[in-house]
Amino acid sequence: MRKYLEIAKKSFQNNIVYRVDYFAGVINTLLMIFVNIAIWKAIYEEEEVLGGVQFKVVMTYIILGFLMQSIFMMEEYLIESKITSGLISSDLLKPLSFRINIFSYNIGALAFRVIMQLTPALIVSIVLFKLLSPFNLKSGILFCISAILGYLVLYSINFIVWLSSFWFYWTFSIVTIKDAVISIMSGALFPLWFLPEWLHTFTKITPFESIYFVPISIYLGLLPYDEIIFGIVKQVIWLALLTIVGHIVWKMATKKLVVQGG
Amino acid sequence: MQQNNSFSSMMALFFRFSKLNLKSALEYKFDRFFLAFAVFCREMVSIIVIYLILTRLIRIKGWEMNEMFFLYSFLFLSYSLFIFLFTGIRDFDNMVYSGELDRYLIRPLGLMYQIVASRVDYCATIGHGVVGVILFIKTAFNVGIDWNYKNITYYIAALVGGAIIQASLFMISSCFSFWAVKTINLRNLIFFNSRRFAGYPISFYPGIIQKMLIFIVPFAFVSYFPAQFFLRKPDLSMFWSGYLYMTPVVGVIMFVLVYRFWLFGLKHYSSTGNSMF
Repeated sequence: MRKYLEIAKKSFQNNIVYRVDYFAGVINTLLMIFVNIAIWKAIYEEEEVLGGVQFKVVMTYIILGFLMQSIFMMEEYLIESKITSGLISSDLLKPLSFRINIFSYNIGALAFRVIMQLTPALIVSIVLFKLLSPFNLKSGILFCISAILGYLVLYSINFIVWLSSFWFYWTFSIVTIKDAVISIMSGALFPLWFLPEWLHTFTKITPFESIYFVPISIYLGLLPYDEIIFGIVKQVIWLALLTIVGHIVWKMATKKLVVQGG
Repeated sequence: MQQNNSFSSMMALFFRFSKLNLKSALEYKFDRFFLAFAVFCREMVSIIVIYLILTRLIRIKGWEMNEMFFLYSFLFLSYSLFIFLFTGIRDFDNMVYSGELDRYLIRPLGLMYQIVASRVDYCATIGHGVVGVILFIKTAFNVGIDWNYKNITYYIAALVGGAIIQASLFMISSCFSFWAVKTINLRNLIFFNSRRFAGYPISFYPGIIQKMLIFIVPFAFVSYFPAQFFLRKPDLSMFWSGYLYMTPVVGVIMFVLVYRFWLFGLKHYSSTGNSMF
């Protein structure tokens, strides 16, 4: 456990080094929120209520979506760079689990983003953009649980995609397509009820909905209690399934590994 | 060997570079095709978002879907043109970061010439270009534009001007890499965010953002004003009508200023060393 904490700490410190990058990251998130609020304001100018939902609610949805996206960012090319550079051979020789190693690295980065980036962005969102508080205390707590599960679902999808670098050497295309699919289907950019009926139904049978839409809906109090529980159970099921798939792909990948020197 | 920098030899070298680029791109056909497709998907996301919202609403502030997409087509086509010509400027931070710039500096050729000539990212050119062409074909003939010579000339001038404006913006961010080395986030901030703003009519935004998009990061001249030249939506009355014709002017002035700044930065360049890991 200690050694993995050490890896997480290293990754945390790595992020501190680039200060220009850090400030740009915070401003980046705030600008994105700002642009989208302006657009949604223009949309709501003609009608007070759209699809039965008020502007304030959609605005909170959008803000939360971007705040979550900013901390859910991961090191997409970590495994790829380890393979192409050959460093993976020494990683596999270490008395550490490679998968937990990668996970700890991302947790370190996550901790950095939560403490250093989310905190200022959240304060600005509350003061400037009038972010609504959770519907009630219970939905606040359930939101936190659901958001953590959302992160883990996203991580396990990402991990499977990253492992494709064992076969392709070069994963920019796959990662980019994955990002495009997730940003439409997970409700990261807009509430999913804006999707056409058939596509919205389709997202319900994919893991994508679990990443952003479920936690944010819980936060906003849009779901009745039994649907909240159903949503969280679905997240757990997806997490379990994707972890199993990740495990199988990992076993296949290690058999496949070709090291080109290091 | 005598240094020969005449125009014809420069052009010959340029075509040689282009040929090599094309060859190396075609070496991995499937890979490159897949990459272009990935870029296409990524860029389609914003289009899909607009589409989904507008199928419910028909129009936002008087702008209909086709008009909105027509505005968007400027953004993609000019970006595609910019990448086709100035890939090296886009990748400049990385060249500084990896130390590759040192190789360029010791060659007996102008640095800017090498940067422009030696790289073309065909995948990004095609990925963005295809989105742009699709939007253009879908919209250009049903938003009420008479494609006469004057309009066609304007359209081309606006695209080239837009490409130069974007090249200048990228050069500003690459200037910072002379001092701060890793500037990806800073560049995203300057460039890709403003580009996101510019995907919608700037009249949607509060006044301060409009001013920023006109005077500081002039993306308004890449998409909004060229589109308004054709569409003349009523919200144009918020702005001075002379802006409609300024795209190429803004491009040239910016490029000259930024180029001087860039040369100044180059004087302060100290290598980061060549080791990759």
